[in-house]
Amino acid sequence: MFPRLFTRQFQTTAFRLAEETGTKLSKEQLRKRELRKMVQRRLQAKTPASDHPLYMPVSKALRYLRAIEVGQPAGQQTITLTTLVVSERGVPPLAGNVSFTKPLKDVKVAVFTDDEAQATLMKEKYNVHLVGGSDLVSKIKAGEVSINFDKAFATPDIVPQLASQVGRILGPRGLLPSVKKGTVAEDLETLVKDSMSSVPFRQRGNCISLAVAKTYFSDKEVLENLLAAQKSIKQSITTQQTKKPSILSQTTLTSTHGPGIVIDFA
Amino acid sequence: MSRVVKQQKFLNKISSTTIKSQILLDASKYSALNLQFQYQNFNGHMGARKFWHEFLPSVQFYNPSLPIKVTRVKNEDKNVDVPCVLQAIGSNGNIVAEISMKNKNSSEIMDEVLQKLEHKKVPDEEIIRV
Repeated sequence: MFPRLFTRQFQTTAFRLAEETGTKLSKEQLRKRELRKMVQRRLQAKTPASDHPLYMPVSKALRYLRAIEVGQPAGQQTITLTTLVVSERGVPPLAGNVSFTKPLKDVKVAVFTDDEAQATLMKEKYNVHLVGGSDLVSKIKAGEVSINFDKAFATPDIVPQLASQVGRILGPRGLLPSVKKGTVAEDLETLVKDSMSSVPFRQRGNCISLAVAKTYFSDKEVLENLLAAQKSIKQSITTQQTKKPSILSQTTLTSTHGPGIVIDFA
Repeated sequence: MSRVVKQQKFLNKISSTTIKSQILLDASKYSALNLQFQYQNFNGHMGARKFWHEFLPSVQFYNPSLPIKVTRVKNEDKNVDVPCVLQAIGSNGNIVAEISMKNKNSSEIMDEVLQKLEHKKVPDEEIIRV
């Protein structure tokens, strides 16, 4: 009786371990593998981009991307920058805002306020996409207003209501105004003014992906946008609250239907 | 096949392995290329679509400043006849050459383009290989 029980227990734990990781390696082996991968990633980050077989200068890469996007509708000709990030476990993900010299599209902003004076100002002066108070909040909760804005701001009086009612809807998309993110203020004018031309980016997994241009932009405009993106990503690394800051690794430029081409970025 | 090799093949298809469409069009003679065909394949529009995907990228690659416009028409009705043409626009905005792409294979269309439009082959030393 006793030995049988023992073997059964042993089997279940073994099964669970295999189920969780998809492998039959022991914990020690897994830990070692993780370390090995980390070393490889660091090494890759240190090697210059020009060593990669698919490396190209940006102008040549753009020529390829424009060729492959020939005849596609303009909405599908977005050039995207993807950069791998090597970071230690537990380090907060990189995030920030890029202000492009030539924006891809007008940023749609939503403003939540119960203050009538500010609401009318926003509507008239800045042509804000959505403005409203408690009524707008309840409409979003009911799903009557589609969430097609890229940024949201609020005045402090409406924040508790926002968080309790639509926190579940806006929160996962990163659109919930909060004091911590700096999107809540008594005077919304300065906030909106700064954000009209800037686009947020965020590290997901171990990469940052960001639309930087359209294929019909000129080479100069694309390069200026790339530099703006580079500046703000590096800025976000310096402001990261950690002892071991993340480093940028292989960076690729790609388009909607196109191949990924490695460029010099970090 | 590794990821990198696959990618190189893809890039080379645009710039070096599609030999027929490695042409230089004279910018003073042709100001644009316009194509029109159907989204759907029926009524002989498949060749045009294939031509767009197989040959147009390398035409654009070697003529970076030439505007190429593709207009695709959505049409579910087989009795409606949608034009399936390639037009070369001259420097003064007129149509200089027109090629019907209906019921033709993509390489047949390319042959006809080479016949009807004045062009130069891209010299071998200018061809870019990855």
